[in-house]
Amino acid sequence: MSQVESMLGAMILTTIRRGIDEGRDGSPLPSQIFEGRDGTRVPTLAKPGTETSPDIDVEEKLKEAFERGWSVIVWNDPVNLMDYVVYVFKAVLKMNEQDASRHMWEVHQKGKSAVAQETREKSELIVHRLRGFGLNATMEPA
Amino acid sequence: MICEQIHPGHWRLSFAEPEAGFLIHVLARLRRHYQEDVAQLPPALRAYWEGRMTRGQVSDKNELKEAQEVLSEARAELRSERQALVENWIREYELAEERDPWKVEISSAERDEFVAMLNDRRLLLALELGITEQDMEADPGQISEEARRSAILEIDVLGHFILVTLGPQIYRP
Repeated sequence: MSQVESMLGAMILTTIRRGIDEGRDGSPLPSQIFEGRDGTRVPTLAKPGTETSPDIDVEEKLKEAFERGWSVIVWNDPVNLMDYVVYVFKAVLKMNEQDASRHMWEVHQKGKSAVAQETREKSELIVHRLRGFGLNATMEPA
Repeated sequence: MICEQIHPGHWRLSFAEPEAGFLIHVLARLRRHYQEDVAQLPPALRAYWEGRMTRGQVSDKNELKEAQEVLSEARAELRSERQALVENWIREYELAEERDPWKVEISSAERDEFVAMLNDRRLLLALELGITEQDMEADPGQISEEARRSAILEIDVLGHFILVTLGPQIYRP
């Protein structure tokens, strides 16, 4: 994609966002304010009488879904064998032998190692798989 | 015990009679464990099966609540799967015509399940008896408490089975 195309893309997205969020002058669009039965003013995108969807912060949800904002941590324990841990890293995280060994040594020497940084959903899946092999894995915001 | 690759993605495990007998004894203990109600297990074992999604500080306390529940459910399912797996292995042994050596052919996926299942037993023994890194590094002959000594020996033998099954893994430049 050329620089011009990406700039155009950004401009289109900004326009769409602005169209959703506000009028051209920044004020709420008429359809965003709807007077409720008790006289209170309820912000909504839909016109009165039409079905409304829950007020979800789409941007926040999209950001969370695509951001690799979660680290998967593997903690040291007295029983898991070094070669076994390396095998599990290779099998679950598709690490090569060198990286898997480096992370294993980090767990052994420092007590823990961040073995992946992923989206929340993928991090949860990795924690499940590592725990299935008996590794003490958790996740936390990166 | 010997592990040979018979063709890509397939392996043959051979156990001499005492090794097979030991393995079946371990699998029978594991079967009993997998059948137990998690809520009735000692706290350390219960914690192992319920799992823990995070240790760190999470800004919103409820942020990982759902993920924690999903993990606990997945761990419960895993126990059922492992129980079925153990039963298959025991059935294979009971039906085998030749038991010295006892030979089992497995795929790569079955190999993963086999080592993970043996590792369950190692971890459960360690949790049950509070075995530490120092215990694991000590000479088992020097450990006076019999249950502890026998658990450490079992952990070591199963560790040997796992290493034979997987072969060396650590990168050595």
